[in-house]
Amino acid sequence: MRVVVDLNRCQGYAQCCYAAPESFALRGHEILFYDPAPPDEARARIERARLACPVRAIFVEAADLHAADVQESDPSKVDLPKVDRP
Amino acid sequence: MSDDTLFAEVLDGANRANPYPIYERLRRRPVSRQRDGAYVVSTHAAIRSLLFDPRLSSEDLPPSRRPRTGNPFKDWIINPLKNRVATAHRPLIFRDPPDHDTLRGFVMKEFTIARVNNLHGRVEALVDTLIERCRGRDEVCLVEDLSYPLPVAVICELLGVPEADEPQFHAWATQLATALEPDARRDEEARRATVTTFDAIAAYMRRLIRDKRRHPADDMLSGLARRGDRGEPAMGDVDLISTAVLLLVAGHETTVNLITNGMLTLLRHPQELARLKADPERAPRLIEELLRYEPPVHFRTRKALGAIEIGGTTIPPGAPVVLLFASGNRDPERFSDPDRFDPSRDDIQHFGFGGGLHYCVGAPLARIEAEIALVTLCRRLVEPRLMADPPSYRAGASLRGPSNLGIHIAGIV
Ligand code: HEM
Ligand code: SF4
Repeated sequence: MRVVVDLNRCQGYAQCCYAAPESFALRGHEILFYDPAPPDEARARIERARLACPVRAIFVEAADLHAADVQESDPSKVDLPKVDRP
Repeated sequence: MSDDTLFAEVLDGANRANPYPIYERLRRRPVSRQRDGAYVVSTHAAIRSLLFDPRLSSEDLPPSRRPRTGNPFKDWIINPLKNRVATAHRPLIFRDPPDHDTLRGFVMKEFTIARVNNLHGRVEALVDTLIERCRGRDEVCLVEDLSYPLPVAVICELLGVPEADEPQFHAWATQLATALEPDARRDEEARRATVTTFDAIAAYMRRLIRDKRRHPADDMLSGLARRGDRGEPAMGDVDLISTAVLLLVAGHETTVNLITNGMLTLLRHPQELARLKADPERAPRLIEELLRYEPPVHFRTRKALGAIEIGGTTIPPGAPVVLLFASGNRDPERFSDPDRFDPSRDDIQHFGFGGGLHYCVGAPLARIEAEIALVTLCRRLVEPRLMADPPSYRAGASLRGPSNLGIHIAGIV
């Protein structure tokens, strides 16, 4: 499966690192490293990480999600433009 | 009803079971000035932008703003002295940068991923033991039987407090949690009780930290205490004590509320309960939606350091600013059908753990505790039914949650 983190959005909250430590790590001062192609066994943990991210910066390739989630992840429902920045 | 007394209505215990209609009225303006001079921020966009605004301070009220007792000796000598001690003990949640960031950095270094995730098994064992104790009964008092004892046991484990001292911690945590309520700060008697409790717990922590230095173990307190001994930058003893107390207070009642609100919400939405039981993997999104829909922390108060123009209002310097997280979570401008509990929604950017530089340190741990508690309750309680709806609530308007949640059950599996 494929994972992308919008690093412009990421604020270094590290919530993903607790949820899926083998796929996400913060090194030094708030630089996020992540595995863009985690193995399938990591699916549940990646989903946890995605949900826990306070700024919703983590995107998981739709084809890899449960059928029900694909519909819910409809990009038109994720309001990218509304996220206002400080 | 006038708009400048709406927040007084929020504080009024009569509205504790359902404050949401008042929040809706408050949201007619992003920021509303209250008669007492406080500014209440109620929309998602305004809260979000203020969470990142350096002109807002989390510093506690100065001693001069604290209430007088009427006893001149106390007012002029004893209380100022106590205040001096109390202001030395300022946990990082009441601090601004740069001190805040330094202290938080030390905590985060010890709040390691391994340490938190290792608590998983312990939480599971605790939850099972607590539920097992209810066997043979046809009703469960969720708060007393599970929500209350669990978080304090987990924090003690994390910090490294010996199990024998847990009951004492339990009592302290309860007393200190009330101190975070706006009303309690005004009430002299409550404030005194807080100071007494704080003195007791500080003395205990001082001893415990000394012990940890002599006999370090693999726990947070040992880690924090030994940093300095290894010649690394470290916090001083006063800050160490305040931090330990903060972790206890911040991690206790909040988690109690999340578990209790969670079960209450599931019992009000039996379909969701059944879905969670059938598919425990739904838990993570259910918990995020819960943190939006019934958050344990409804608001936090800050102070304006300068004039802030926002949402058509200018907040003057020095004014208290209430960030009404629970209202932002129900803002229809941000969430479609916000009053509906819907764990299927994908767009759940809530303020359940706050946001910005004070974002909850304990969020990963709270998520683990709530998930294990709710999933296990759904699996093990047979035919659970609410005994009273709404349940009775504790006094707190900010740390809001049921004081008791009676559940009829047909058994335990
Ligand atoms: C469901 C459970 C919890 C909820 C809803 C919650 C909520 C919050 C919120 C809203 C804040 C932000 C306060 C502010 O902006 O002024 C916060 C801060 C904090 N929380 Fe939690 N919390 C929970 C559990 C925990 C746990 C388990 C711990 C510790 C083990 C913890 C430790 C802290 C600390 C230390 C802060 C202060 C952070 C700072 O000022 O930088 N919390 N929490
Ligand atoms: S949780 Fe989100 S904001 Fe935090 S580090 Fe991960 S991707 Fe970045």
